[in-house]
Amino acid sequence: MGLKEEVIEMMAKTLDVGKDELSEDKTLYDSIGVDSTEIVELTVALGKHFGVKIEANEIGKTSTPLQIVEVIEKKKQ
Amino acid sequence: MKEQVAITGMGVVAPCGLKKETFWANLKRGKSFIDEVTRFDASQYPSRIAGQVHDLDCYTHLSSRLVKKIDVFSHMALVASEQALQDAQIDLEKIDKKRTGVFMGNALGGWLFAETELRDMYLEGREGVSPYMASAWFPAAPQGQVTIYYGFKGYSKTVVSDKASSALALWYGAKTIAQDKNEYVIAGGMEAPITPYALLCANTCGNLSKSNLTPKRAYRPYDLYRDGFVLGEGSGMVALEKEAHAKKRGVNIYGFVRGVGFSSDGYHYSRYKPSSDNLAYAIEECLKDAGWAKKDIDYICLDGEATTIGDYLETQALKNVFGKELENISLSAPKSMFGNLLGAQTSLDLIMTLLSMQHGTVLPTVNYEMKDPYCDLDYTPNKPIEKEINKALILARGRGGINVVLAVEKA
Repeated sequence: MGLKEEVIEMMAKTLDVGKDELSEDKTLYDSIGVDSTEIVELTVALGKHFGVKIEANEIGKTSTPLQIVEVIEKKKQ
Repeated sequence: MKEQVAITGMGVVAPCGLKKETFWANLKRGKSFIDEVTRFDASQYPSRIAGQVHDLDCYTHLSSRLVKKIDVFSHMALVASEQALQDAQIDLEKIDKKRTGVFMGNALGGWLFAETELRDMYLEGREGVSPYMASAWFPAAPQGQVTIYYGFKGYSKTVVSDKASSALALWYGAKTIAQDKNEYVIAGGMEAPITPYALLCANTCGNLSKSNLTPKRAYRPYDLYRDGFVLGEGSGMVALEKEAHAKKRGVNIYGFVRGVGFSSDGYHYSRYKPSSDNLAYAIEECLKDAGWAKKDIDYICLDGEATTIGDYLETQALKNVFGKELENISLSAPKSMFGNLLGAQTSLDLIMTLLSMQHGTVLPTVNYEMKDPYCDLDYTPNKPIEKEINKALILARGRGGINVVLAVEKA
C-alpha cells in the first residue's frame, strides 16, 4: 500500500467514514462536514501512526486529503 | 399559568422500555426492572444494583461517527428527543428553528466518557485524551448535541438541581412557550449514573439501598423496611407548544402544564430539613399557581426516596396540605419499578402521569409489604388500579431540600 492509500485509510478509520466519502481534492469540511475536534483527533492519530509530529496549524478543516498526504510525506523525508 | 402549554409528544429511554408503548406495557405489570450492575465489576460497592438501559444501540438513529464523540447521557437524550419530535409530528423542514428551544436537566454530567479519558490521561499523558472529552462530559452537553443535531436555535437552557433538575427544566421550557419566546420546546432530562465513579459517589452520599441480594425488592418506598432508593439511568423528553397552536396543527394533546410551586429548605447542603413545612409550602404554591382546589386533585406522583426521613417528611407534607382530602387522591411512586433517575426523574414521572391519564390507570408503588405507622397513607401498593385522572401533581425533591411541584392536567 502506498503512502497516499495508507493516509486515506487511516483518515477514514479515525473519522469513522467510508473511504469513498473522502474526495481527494475536496476539503474535509466540504466532503464530510468535519468539525474542529475531529481535526484534533485526526492530527493526533496520524502523528502516532506515522511516527511524526504534526503541528495544530498544519491540518485544518479546509485541508484536502491530498494536502494531508503531502504534509506527512514531507515530515517522513 | 394563564396560557395553556400543551404536551404533544413524548420520548422515553428507560430501564423498562425504549419507547412509550413498551414503557407503559411494562409498568402496568407492576414488575421490577432493577438488577445487579453488569456494566462493570461493582462487586465491592455497598450498593451494586440499578435500573440499567441495555439495548440503546439497537434503537439509535445516530451514526457511529457521532456516537463515539458523545457520552451515553447525550445519546439517550438524542434518542428520546427524536421520539418526542416524531410523536408530536413536528415537521423539521417547516418549523422556525430560531423559535425552537431545548430545556434539559441532569444532576451529574457524563461520567462514562469522562472516566475513560481521565484514565487515559494518567496512563498516556495529554495526547491520550480524546478531543471529544471537552464537549462530551459536561451537564449541558446533551442540550448542545440536540440543538446541533436538529439545528435548533431558540432560547435553550440546562438546569442542574439534583433530583429536581428536569422538573425545573420542564417548567422553564413551558414558561418560554407561555411567554411566546419559543414556538416549540423539547424539554426533559437525562442521567447516566451507572458508571464506576458516579456509582461510587452516589454510594458515598448515602441514601442508596444496600439490599443487593434481592435487587427486585430493594427499592421499596414507604415500606417499614425501606433502606434507600436505587439508581436508574435513562431519559424522558416531551414536546411543548401552545394549546391553540397544537389544535391548529390537529395533533394529539396528552395534557397541559398548569402550574409550579418552589421552595428551598435552606437547612443543610445535602440533608432535608427535619420538617415538612417547605415541601408543604411548594405544594400550596403550586395549587395556587394552577388555580386548583385541594379537592380537584386526582393523583399525586410521589418523590418516594425510600429513606426513613424522606418518606416520612413527604407523608407529613401531604397530610398537612390535604388533610382528609387525601382519601380521594391516589398516590404512588412508580419509579420504584426501575430506579430513581436523579436529574432526569421528573421527566419520566411526567410521562408516566400523562400515560396514566390516557389509560385511566394509577401505576403502583412496588415492594410495599410492611406498613410503617409513620407512613400510613394509601400509596397504591404493588398493583395498578383503574381510575380517571384529570388533575395531577408531580413532586420532585433535590438533596439539600430543593422542592419543586408541577401541576399537570389531562387534555
